Amino acid sequence: MPPIYINIILAYTASLVGLLMYRSHFMSSLLCLEGMMLSLFVLATILSLNLHFTLSFTLPIILLIFAGCETAVGLALLVMISDIYGLDHVQNLNLLQC
Amino acid sequence: MNLTMSLMITSLIILIIPTLSNMHKHYPYYVKTLTQIAFLTSLLPALTFIYSNQDAVTSNWHWITVQTLELSINLKLDYFSMIFTPTALFITWSIMEFSLWYMKPDPNINKFFKYLLIFLTMMLILTTANNLMQLFIGWEGVGIMSFLLIGWWYSRTDANTAALQAIIYNRIGDIGFILAMMWFSTYSNTWNLQQLFILNTDPNLTPLVGLLLAAAGKSAQFGLHPWLPSAMEGPTPVSALLHSSTMVVAGIFLLIRFHPLMENNKTVQTLALCLGALTTLFTAICALTQNDIKKIIAFSTSSQLGLMMVTIGINQPYLAFLHICMHAFFKAMLFMCSGSIIHNLNNEQDIRKMGGLYKTMPLTSTSLTIGNLALTGMPFLTGFYSKDLIIETMNTSYTNAWALTVTLIATSLTAAYSTRIIFLTLLGQPRFLALMNTNENNPYFANPTKRLMVGSIFAGFIISNSIPPTDIPQMTMPPYLKLSTLLITTFGFILALELCLDSLSPNPKSPSPLHNFSTLLGFFPTLAHRMVPHLNLTMSQYTASQTLDLTWLEKTTPKSIAHLQTLAAMNVSNQKGLIKLYFLSFLITITVTTLLVI
Repeated sequence: MPPIYINIILAYTASLVGLLMYRSHFMSSLLCLEGMMLSLFVLATILSLNLHFTLSFTLPIILLIFAGCETAVGLALLVMISDIYGLDHVQNLNLLQC
Repeated sequence: MNLTMSLMITSLIILIIPTLSNMHKHYPYYVKTLTQIAFLTSLLPALTFIYSNQDAVTSNWHWITVQTLELSINLKLDYFSMIFTPTALFITWSIMEFSLWYMKPDPNINKFFKYLLIFLTMMLILTTANNLMQLFIGWEGVGIMSFLLIGWWYSRTDANTAALQAIIYNRIGDIGFILAMMWFSTYSNTWNLQQLFILNTDPNLTPLVGLLLAAAGKSAQFGLHPWLPSAMEGPTPVSALLHSSTMVVAGIFLLIRFHPLMENNKTVQTLALCLGALTTLFTAICALTQNDIKKIIAFSTSSQLGLMMVTIGINQPYLAFLHICMHAFFKAMLFMCSGSIIHNLNNEQDIRKMGGLYKTMPLTSTSLTIGNLALTGMPFLTGFYSKDLIIETMNTSYTNAWALTVTLIATSLTAAYSTRIIFLTLLGQPRFLALMNTNENNPYFANPTKRLMVGSIFAGFIISNSIPPTDIPQMTMPPYLKLSTLLITTFGFILALELCLDSLSPNPKSPSPLHNFSTLLGFFPTLAHRMVPHLNLTMSQYTASQTLDLTWLEKTTPKSIAHLQTLAAMNVSNQKGLIKLYFLSFLITITVTTLLVI
């Protein structure tokens, strides 16, 4: 496998681990989510350019659009939590007190 | 050539004359005498009819022709109108004589008699009408006179409310009447009864349901019934004439008039049967625990009207008509006796404050007892000849079992509340103040009561043996069916007597929920009169006082969605929000899987 793909997949994995393991701030998991989206975008672009797979030229752009929407939703949730609890510490997310 | 037509028109004119003459000092007596003469005049055509079975139709004055619809004054003197007219005139004559005594202290007694007379004229227009426009004129006329007479003491708010209630409920029934009229004028191009009956051998359900609705409104069937007990706010002669014998049977009379159409449509017969059965049971239950003597008799009227509707439902219009005529006698007499009791006890209408009138008012108590016995269908009194026939026909016909059961239960309840009236008003120790002057020596009370008493005993026999035969009555049935009415009536009587005697001993119990159901009239007035407008007004107040912006911008979509989602989430989820734990477990799973695969 060409090293460029391994590189990008490694970046994806690092962001994934960062999303799933974080200490207290909710913001860090959102940032790692962004990192995942970015690495996926680059991977898709390089793949479709190297393999001359013309029909999938639109894939990265559409992926970016949906990533943008998802960011908006995530930020709205973050703002709501921050509004209620003052901070975005994840131990606040106790549904019993919603 | 006989005098049928001329004599009937003469008797109608005799009734119209006093409405056009000036009021003088003896006007009430004059009206009563003219009613008596009209009764005697109308008796001759009735006897001619009984002898020769000859109908008559007259078409007098052409009023208007609207494109192809011709309207004229059309009198139809057939079986129903010829026998109903003398009965109604006899009852009215007796009631007018009674009101000469009852309404004597009233300063507006002349106007009262005029109203009664106009009412009677309208009722006769209704019964002799041959086209629907004339019937409608009579229909509305009796409604208006009912309104004026119920609100006779118009300074009383209850009386005004009751009069308004009567008009509104009658109006709801009129919607059905007008629907039927419109359908007939569109599809049969006529309002004339003869042409209608010829053209509609297989009638559509629409006009018949309209007629059923009109009858339900005018005859106080379930759903449109509260106006009848409230109409007891009027003076007792009004209750005796309008709301027991004459006006409330107008609805049933309408359905009887249309029996050639109703007998070909099974659906509307079933509707009438179920409506009548429901009415008779419901109002009999309500009558059991009322404390106002006039209200008990009003509910009794309503129950008998339900029975008449049931009779129409089993396709026996002639039996229903017979019951109308018989019922008028003893019901008017019951109201007159209650009027006598009320006047003699100084306007006391609560039966818990009466008692012991058996010795002090012998004529009244006799006629009350006879009236109640006739009502319950004691064999060979007046009520027996129609009521027992109805129950027998119902028992032996292929009909709805629920309606049959319910009617039988209502018959036993009739005996129960009649016993209750007799027990509480006549028997036992007096529960009113001791210094009461009871006087029933006035001939204006005694004579009509005696006349109606004789009528309650003998009229059933005389009328049912004189009328021309119509449908074939059921000749054979098993003995238990024949005796069923008698058995259940006796059962109701004995049960009520036991309960009344049991109530003499001091054993106070708080009322059960069933008692509340009966006393509050099945919660129907509470729900229909109070709850619906209350909800309406509350809703409109809240919508108006809170601004539109608040409603549309916040409450409609945004906040309601959020609120709904929160409620749903809280109800459905059982998570505890341990996000780090979940994420960590996800990571470990992925790692282990990858290591296993690779």
